[in-house]
Amino acid sequence: MTDSDQGSERVDVDRQSEHGPTERRMTGGQRRAERRAGAALAVAIVAGVGLFVVYFAGGQTQVEGVLFAIAFGGLGVALGIWANHLLDAREVVEERHELTSGPAGREAFENALTEEVGPVLGRRSLLLKLLAGAGGALGLALLLPVLSLGPAPGDTLKVTPWRRGSRVVDEEGDPVSLNQVPEDGFLTVFPEGHEGTADAQALLIHVRQGSLKLPPERMAGVPEGTHVAYSKICTHAGCPVGLYRAESQSLICPCHQSQFDVSDGAKPFFGPAARPLPQLPLGVGEDGVLVAQGDFSAPVGPAFWDMNRGR
Amino acid sequence: MSMVERSLKYLDERLGTASLARKTLRKVFPDHWSFLLGEIALFALVVLIFTGTFLTFFYTPSVQEVVYNGPYAPLQGTEVSAAYNSVLRLSFEVRAGLLMRQTHHWAALVFVASIVVHLCRIFFTGAFRRPREVNWLVGVGLLFLALGEGFTGYSLPDDLLSGIGLRIFYSVTLAIPVVGTWVTYLLFGGEFPAPDIISRLFVFHIMLIPALLLALVGVHLAILVLQKHTQFPGHGRTERNVVGKRLWPEQTFKSVSLLLFCTAVLALLGGLAQINPVWQYGPFVAYNVTSPAQPDWYIGFLDGALRLGPPWDLTLFGFTISEVFWPAVLFPGIAFGILTLWPWIERRFTRDRAEHHLLDRPRDTPVRTGIGTAGLTVFFIMFLEGGNDIFGVLLNVPVETVTRILQWSLLIAPIVTFLITYWICKGLSRTRLRPAQINAGVRLSRTPDGGYETVSLEPVEAEEELEPAER
Repeated sequence: MTDSDQGSERVDVDRQSEHGPTERRMTGGQRRAERRAGAALAVAIVAGVGLFVVYFAGGQTQVEGVLFAIAFGGLGVALGIWANHLLDAREVVEERHELTSGPAGREAFENALTEEVGPVLGRRSLLLKLLAGAGGALGLALLLPVLSLGPAPGDTLKVTPWRRGSRVVDEEGDPVSLNQVPEDGFLTVFPEGHEGTADAQALLIHVRQGSLKLPPERMAGVPEGTHVAYSKICTHAGCPVGLYRAESQSLICPCHQSQFDVSDGAKPFFGPAARPLPQLPLGVGEDGVLVAQGDFSAPVGPAFWDMNRGR
Repeated sequence: MSMVERSLKYLDERLGTASLARKTLRKVFPDHWSFLLGEIALFALVVLIFTGTFLTFFYTPSVQEVVYNGPYAPLQGTEVSAAYNSVLRLSFEVRAGLLMRQTHHWAALVFVASIVVHLCRIFFTGAFRRPREVNWLVGVGLLFLALGEGFTGYSLPDDLLSGIGLRIFYSVTLAIPVVGTWVTYLLFGGEFPAPDIISRLFVFHIMLIPALLLALVGVHLAILVLQKHTQFPGHGRTERNVVGKRLWPEQTFKSVSLLLFCTAVLALLGGLAQINPVWQYGPFVAYNVTSPAQPDWYIGFLDGALRLGPPWDLTLFGFTISEVFWPAVLFPGIAFGILTLWPWIERRFTRDRAEHHLLDRPRDTPVRTGIGTAGLTVFFIMFLEGGNDIFGVLLNVPVETVTRILQWSLLIAPIVTFLITYWICKGLSRTRLRPAQINAGVRLSRTPDGGYETVSLEPVEAEEELEPAER
């Protein structure tokens, strides 16, 4: 141990003796660089102290950001100057070594894996097959808990809480009656008891008399010929269709600008949506409150694989 | 014996670290500004981990309804989710919380941006060629993970804007043929907005994706060290050597300096440049929507693709293929598939199976450069379309016009870009200018006694032969 102790001491002595002349040999440029780096570090120190002051004074996001930037930036400037002016920045050449182990090396590896260890694997093919089978069975079984992550889709995407006789309410749960929404106005409505439910959201639009061009069976779900309701979920990518242009009677999805013609069954006429917004058939209850005559005319929202099967 | 020497001795006698550490310190890295792009990504990741850990201590991954009663007056008394509530608290009540949150968000934007620019550097200089195909795959994997990490993090505040983003993502997974509904329900835990989604996103964002990300970063760097860095052709540089600065001290000082600069810029942005003010968007409500609605920049191309997409859905044997499938499933699948397999695709045409450690200049490979710029054009047009409503307002033209122009551009512009790039590359190549290879020759230097002498600028040889890394 004493040997290495002495050795390290010698290095220390060497380093000290090296140190003196290096400082004396410093050029004017290096002295200037050292001053600049020193100044940058001093600025960083000031900014660091400033951060303490700001934090304990209650904190202020903008000042904190600036002081952090000055502190980190000061250190960065100092190290940058150091790297560029105070280090002996010589270009060095390093030879690349061969990456490959070569055919002999690969063969040796294969031997180490199989032949050198004797007949561990080769003659037990039945056992190997069973091992693969057991591994496969267990592997699949281990995947089973993944199925617990979600319910089976079933019909959930094809139905909404709207039922025959569901009373039409607004987001607060207040019933909506005929003519409550002014002409050219619209309102987001839900089935009573399901206020705010994502797939039930519908737009009740009070259109001008005679402006709807719907087939008779669809008109049957439009009280007074003026109160039409469509799903509010865009059939393209599911955003709420939140914009209504009354003069052209068109609905616009703010996400991807699909546009739907309210007077013509909410068929899309511009943008990426391919299917009309499903209609919600409405009627009027005894007390003048709007009620649904059933669920939407089609599955609401974006398309999915089996949307047109077995609804 | 000093403290340092004692601990070095302790470690070396037990782990043999000294010679390994010495070899590492002596490692040579070529010096070029474009080699720092990947480092910027790494440093943004460092900032992300530190700021993100801080955020984790305050964030509540839950959609349980609570009434907001913090200092932000416009939302007082509003029912919001616990997640949204915790983000508001972090922004308005936790000291330095907003700085950390905004710096985290900015760092995420810079992280993905520097990965993309780094990827462009690798692509256009041919740095993916043999023997670096494996590291290309690792790098592309890192890009995907970074996108996933960005999107999951963006969705965590449970504000109205990110909720709409999540809704669109849900619609995209629904559009996957055959298994779409199952994949979506397993991922989201049921029909949108299933209550588990926020806590699941949290697990993805702070555990699963970061673990994979860090593991792959480790592999990425290990392969880099093993294979040694590529270099541009130039004086004294060959396929058999690496000319550059040593890891210690030059490269270390430079890299640490860059790390500090990146952090400084991110802190400055986080302090001064407001980003994602979720209190202005309001809490997520399934039947509300904001307009205009743009995602973070790196998802912009996908949102734009959805806006550009043709309204073509398809019913085959009673089964439906959504119009969302083409722009948001098929297009990214093909585009990222080509990106992933590029080293092998290119090899099919060039038949070049040789090892390459010297980089191409983009002008010398006009076809590859042209394909690269054409690909970037496709993504850029989609990115622009992601802001079609904003451009409509700014330019005072109908949004329909903006979309039509960009739809046609998507068909024409990539071809035009390819041809122009090819032409420029050929022109540059004909000049036979090789700035990097101009022989530095000799330099005149003034001697102390007033005379002049010539100093040769031959590259300095390494003063000693480095031992190979293995025994």
